[in-house]
Amino acid sequence: MITFAPGNLRVPRWTRPVYMVAAGTTDFRKRYPEKKLDELCMMAFRMLLEENDLRQDPLEVKGHINFACYGEFADHFQDQLLCEAKVHDYLGLDLLPNVGIKTGGATGGSTMLMGATTVASGMSDCTLVLGWERMDEVKTWTGNYYIASAACKEFETRLARNYASYYAPMARRFQEMYGVDERVRAEIAVKNRGYACSSPYAQQPGRHTVDEVLGGEIVSDPLRFLECCAMSVGSAAALLCSEELAFQLTDRPVRLYIAGGSHTLRTGDRRPMRILLLPHETEEGYASLYRDMGKQDGRWPGFESFGATRFAAYMAYRMAGVQNPIEDLDLVETHDAFTISDLQTYGDVGLTLYGREQDYVTSGDCYLKNPHTGKPGKCPANLSGGLLGTMHAVGATGIFQCDEVFWQLQGKYDRFHGDPALWRRYGKEKPADWTSLQVDDPRRGLAISHAGVGSHVTCAVLERAW
Amino acid sequence: MTMANDDKVTLRAVPAAVESVHGAWVVQLPRFGAEGTHYHTYGLLTPYFKGLGEGRLLGTKCVNPRCPVSSGSGELWLPPRADCPDCHQPMTWQEVKEPRGYIYSYTHVERGGTGLEIACPYYQIDVKIDGVCTIIKSYLLDRRPIKIGERVRARFRTGPEATHTCLDLCWELE
Repeated sequence: MITFAPGNLRVPRWTRPVYMVAAGTTDFRKRYPEKKLDELCMMAFRMLLEENDLRQDPLEVKGHINFACYGEFADHFQDQLLCEAKVHDYLGLDLLPNVGIKTGGATGGSTMLMGATTVASGMSDCTLVLGWERMDEVKTWTGNYYIASAACKEFETRLARNYASYYAPMARRFQEMYGVDERVRAEIAVKNRGYACSSPYAQQPGRHTVDEVLGGEIVSDPLRFLECCAMSVGSAAALLCSEELAFQLTDRPVRLYIAGGSHTLRTGDRRPMRILLLPHETEEGYASLYRDMGKQDGRWPGFESFGATRFAAYMAYRMAGVQNPIEDLDLVETHDAFTISDLQTYGDVGLTLYGREQDYVTSGDCYLKNPHTGKPGKCPANLSGGLLGTMHAVGATGIFQCDEVFWQLQGKYDRFHGDPALWRRYGKEKPADWTSLQVDDPRRGLAISHAGVGSHVTCAVLERAW
Repeated sequence: MTMANDDKVTLRAVPAAVESVHGAWVVQLPRFGAEGTHYHTYGLLTPYFKGLGEGRLLGTKCVNPRCPVSSGSGELWLPPRADCPDCHQPMTWQEVKEPRGYIYSYTHVERGGTGLEIACPYYQIDVKIDGVCTIIKSYLLDRRPIKIGERVRARFRTGPEATHTCLDLCWELE
């Protein structure tokens, strides 16, 4: 049983507030031979400087940057150590300081976390956060092996060399514990890949059906191909700054709160503990869950939940003053690398109670438009298309998710997804049936960045500041 | 996808070369073919891997009476740890005699990443071993359909069959 001492649960208090003022990204592809890595990073950086309605000339904005945080999951993919130095030089940011961040799938989120602390502490007034992955320099199944190196190499990696196979037992266990219908997982794949059809950045948009997902080839039972994200190439960037500078640079700054959690690499090593309660939850609310877990030898967080996600949300909600996420948040981006991780996260971040995640999805509240009522969903998820539909260029992912929430809060979804010129930039035609996924007047959004089988997680709350 | 005709999973593994350095096993893990090799020490967990090759399953437990969690009578950990995470004192080895447990969760692996040594498809299983507080990931020799809760007993790859890796522990349905 893990117990916390009071010091362990201290809620982060920043010396200064942190704001996000600009975002940039590339499109995402399975292969991107047209551009070298540093050239892709320049695409995201240029978009960040030039296309966010900043009040100053791009080179003036660049002149504010004090620090850069770079996210990259694995050197293996490119056989190149210290890409950070190459990218930093290419962006023309020498001799400013930079650091490289690496926390597996959560690398992008951790890069945002690190960038935020440089501003919050006063180390920097303006920090560039930029991440990338280029997973096309090895064959797909070698890429799977590299990613599986993030499992425990003594006791797990040799048992699959494929990360879906470490998530699949969690899916199996979750399915058994809560009686989950496979169609619910498939619905998540259909929704997120469908939303990706509105995104010019998306790698694998598709209008699928639940039956098509369930009829697909198995990767690792019960997960099918369309339930798993793919290898991606691309880059994403964000610009973080102090309050004073934020209001100089833009009339639509977004306040950022972000916290992290971390848990054991091996799922089976998770020792049971009492559920860490979010502001709107009570011990009594989980009395029946504890009874059910007792009947099935379940444990919290065990195989069915992500303790690191709950810890990150516990901290971030208290930093941001979120009292009840389903009421206080207007959209979320979950880390849907696999359908099961999306489903499990709804309980972790408190959009529903643990054990009721399936009902939450079928309620329709995770849609922009609730398919049952035709009214707006309470808290739409992964309007970006998510990892399933848009990308998982790992070091970029958590940053891209914040970018998408940022543009939603600024009311710029249509501009950054619906402009035909943007589609043509990436060699695509804007679909005739393109649909706007702009949330109506959102005030707060959330982005989860997630590694391993829950080993590192960040929870970012973004909030309109004008 | 490889489908063996028999109902038991087979390995394509060759025994890892092992060197003993100051009492610890240092295993060579070929990664990029003959030209590239990583050396990886099992350190203080060497007894665990030696034990597998001898048909013995060894776990560790904390016996420090001042440990805030175990109070001197800790539960058994598998995978083992040399040091207790709660009090940081060395843990004690203990053999699990005739290891048995049940399938806590599982997946049917149909595709593995490059270099996978277990012939696909196969069941990767998480085993809750009687008397052990953690849950160990492993694989099942049997290929017939399984369910959570089914009882299993340990099997070992010993002697010339030993790979000197975690693959030396596997399970059969009881």
